Amino acid sequence: MHKRRLHNFFTVKNNLWHLVLISLGLFLSALAGGCSGGAEKRDDSDVFKVGLLSPGPVNGQGWTQIAYEALLKIEKELGAQISYVEVEQSPALFERAFRDYASQGYQMVLGHGFEFQDAALAVAKDYPDTWFFISSSKIHEGNVVGVDSDSSQPFYLMGIAAAKMGRGAGLIGGVEIPPITNAFIGFTNGVRSVNPDFPISTTYLGSWTDAAAAKEAALSMIAEGADFIIPDADAAGSGVYQALNETGPGYWSFGIYNDYTSQAPNNMMGNYFNDYGQGLVNIARQVRAGNFETQSNLVFGVKDRDVIWVEFEEGRASAEVLESVEKAIEGIIAGSINTLAPIR
Amino acid sequence: MAPPSAAVAVALLVGGILLLFAGYSPLKAYAVMWTGAFGSLNNLAETLLKSTPLILIGSGLAVAFRSGIWNIGAEGQLYAGAVAATLAGIVFTGLPAFLLVPLVLMAGMLSGAIWGGLAGFLKVRFGASEIVTTIMLNFLAIIATSYLVTGPMIEAVGKFPQTAQIADAARLPRILLPTRLHVGFLLSLGVAVATYLLLFKSSRGYALRTVGISPDAARYAGINVGAGLLAAMAISGGVAGLAGAVEVTGLTFRLYQEISPGYGFDGIAVALLANNNPIGVIFTGILFGALRSGSEVMQMNAQVPSVLVSVIQGVVLLSAAALGVFRITQTNNQEE
Amino acid sequence: MDPLVIVSFLAAVLAATWRLATPFIYTSLGEVFSERAGVLNIGLEGVMLIGAFTAFSITFFTGSPVWGLAAAMAGGLTCGLLFAFLTVSLKANQIVVGAAFNLVGLGLTSFLYRSIFSGRMETAREYASFSPLEIPLLSRLPFFGEALFQQNLMVYATPFVVLAGAFVLYRTAFGLSVRSTGEHPRTVDAAGLPVGLIRYASVLIGCALAAVGGAYLTVAHTNQFNEGITSGRGFIALAVVVIGRWSPWGAFFISLLFGFFYALQLRLQAVSGITIPYQFLQALPYLLTLVVFVTLRKRADAPSALGVPYKSS
Repeated sequence: MHKRRLHNFFTVKNNLWHLVLISLGLFLSALAGGCSGGAEKRDDSDVFKVGLLSPGPVNGQGWTQIAYEALLKIEKELGAQISYVEVEQSPALFERAFRDYASQGYQMVLGHGFEFQDAALAVAKDYPDTWFFISSSKIHEGNVVGVDSDSSQPFYLMGIAAAKMGRGAGLIGGVEIPPITNAFIGFTNGVRSVNPDFPISTTYLGSWTDAAAAKEAALSMIAEGADFIIPDADAAGSGVYQALNETGPGYWSFGIYNDYTSQAPNNMMGNYFNDYGQGLVNIARQVRAGNFETQSNLVFGVKDRDVIWVEFEEGRASAEVLESVEKAIEGIIAGSINTLAPIR
Repeated sequence: MAPPSAAVAVALLVGGILLLFAGYSPLKAYAVMWTGAFGSLNNLAETLLKSTPLILIGSGLAVAFRSGIWNIGAEGQLYAGAVAATLAGIVFTGLPAFLLVPLVLMAGMLSGAIWGGLAGFLKVRFGASEIVTTIMLNFLAIIATSYLVTGPMIEAVGKFPQTAQIADAARLPRILLPTRLHVGFLLSLGVAVATYLLLFKSSRGYALRTVGISPDAARYAGINVGAGLLAAMAISGGVAGLAGAVEVTGLTFRLYQEISPGYGFDGIAVALLANNNPIGVIFTGILFGALRSGSEVMQMNAQVPSVLVSVIQGVVLLSAAALGVFRITQTNNQEE
Repeated sequence: MDPLVIVSFLAAVLAATWRLATPFIYTSLGEVFSERAGVLNIGLEGVMLIGAFTAFSITFFTGSPVWGLAAAMAGGLTCGLLFAFLTVSLKANQIVVGAAFNLVGLGLTSFLYRSIFSGRMETAREYASFSPLEIPLLSRLPFFGEALFQQNLMVYATPFVVLAGAFVLYRTAFGLSVRSTGEHPRTVDAAGLPVGLIRYASVLIGCALAAVGGAYLTVAHTNQFNEGITSGRGFIALAVVVIGRWSPWGAFFISLLFGFFYALQLRLQAVSGITIPYQFLQALPYLLTLVVFVTLRKRADAPSALGVPYKSS
């Protein structure tokens, strides 16, 4: 016992000593780095630079992927220098990422989610030459501009198709947040416009990754009699397509944000495409030219036909359904249909 | 032997091999990481900001681990603290800063202490393994926070899953303008020193360490083992709760679903790597803070996925384990 | 409510219950062995992820989920070997190593997934997996036919694996030495049995089964990998072991119970008119664990040498 104590004593000291050495080294070089920091700056002010703060892995399906693809599109079409960072889901870290990009002379930084709003506002005042765009936000304050894709509109169209062709609908969301709940409100309004008694059930997984849970949720909705099951749950969503694929023909879904036909080839009524990239390229082009200005936040909807559209698979929806969908698009653009009208 | 530094070297080597495998230049990636962590005043401040919760949590956990109780629940205790601090910061808007700031921090600390103390109580009263109960309490705190910010505490405008902002007077002052570094960092240093004094320079600390080394010997010496374990859980929980309160009052100013990117789990590594010595925690906390902070910049400027940092941190722990850093902290509390 | 409706509701929940319980069953059964021998592995989540990723990538490249599963087991055994080397041979702290496994498991699988599969995401999602096997006639039984006789192989296998586990643990000399090693390693040592070797074997079983539990998610229940797909299941398995009183059948039934809660919450949400916040249903398994501790009152029958490295003197 006594010997062990003694040993402890020395180990503690020994470890501490090494830690002190490491830290001293870190601090010294930090100081050195701090002094030489200015010299590193290269003059690349003529390069158009665009940064992205992604709330999750950029290769996740759905939401996080559309922003990454948008970034790649900006790189390709505008020759921009791009960069992204996956900030862990901690708002405390966002401000730093914004500041880093802005201080490196990025002209445009996209925070992909409402949660980036506070951080952008805190940073934006110090960097008037950078535009800060915030996805699914309604903000417009100086150089901080919300960019929203109104998913309730395409979901409204899907609702029309479901109510005209199916027996019941199931909606499977990742987490209960406004972008998802709004999409589901749109769907419900679409359904109600056709048949107010059409059954709709909703399940939230509480996760963006749990594909197994999504699959089970879909199977249980099928057992309850639903035949249109639509996910809005990023990577977890493909569990839904798998459930449909295994259940067989006669059960339908839509690809969300991208073409997911390959995952359940016999069960896709169509795909909702969100080419956020195209929308952002349109904005980025103006930012690069230096003539971007706006009086309000920006909202993409079905009016922006190159950004948001629903494509039905050949021969699966009748001409009558397609016609009602077209009519609804016109109504939404004209303002006679409010896809976000409160339910009940 | 130089265990901690060797462990870091091994981890960087493993990380380097992975980087090579994925087609990146390890040297370039690490250089960028280094600059990202320490290369400018702002980067240094960001590193210290990330170290702040780690130092706090690590100091508290050092007390728990030295007392022989395995608190894996700092993450949940941090959430409990953040919730209470936010609530206090929203409700008591009328108070002046010199009253409100301590009040908000105390609220966080108390809430974390209760959340941690609960696991201590279950251990002492029912013999429930604190390893399992604290893991369960982590999930419960995170789920409860998710419920609160989407339901009862959701902001009035916007309806995004977040609370309203806390009062201006509840916010921690910044100490190194123009950076975001706030007084919470100094607080964390103070807490580290205080827990060090408690553990190694006080009779209570001696009693706690005796409980940790041998509960039977402690009992024989007339020490109330149950009370000691409860106190150790409450202290470590309270400090983790304080870390949550500091995040809210120093950085985010409101509560979100995921207020912590896993500080509670990193804190375990920080405490153990420092051999459960709170003074050592200051350095290991800064080391882990630098790894996280640097990896973010590495992703921005060298496009290396920042998940690599988890591998590096994990390997630091593994190689430190292999090199025998933690052998002395082994206790047999499970027999308790 | 119409009894027929209730029965069919239950039948459907039951089918989902078994599928959702399967990863818990494999993982917790393995951990029973590990803990019975006195080694606590809180790194199950990391090992599951490694199993999930290995199974996914090998199945993707070979087209065979059987190879994928085998590779996952190999991956699990590798993890087990490392874990046992550190905690048994070097007597490193088990909590530290477990925590490190979780960090490495998540980081490594995410990093490799991106390095190997980035840009091939679309194709990576379509590959063979264990698909449901209908047992003729029985699967047509009313109500419970689907629950019991339309599952995939890995689901069917669970009671048999647990049976085998229980047999080994209670009816073989090896099982006896595992159980004794967790209770009184010194006695085992005095009897001339190799404590270290027994712990190695138990940890290897534990990690191999945890990897199988992870593999189930990517090659049987769904056919995809995504970062963090285990979604905390490794931690639930730890709770299962405790509530199941460190016994294989206990782990089996508690896994089913947790699977039932999981299935029920997904299903209850979909039934309109029930408006419990989904977070409450998510919290149920964790709350239950705490309640079990309080209501059982008597000290948990944890192996008394759990978490303590053995030093022969």
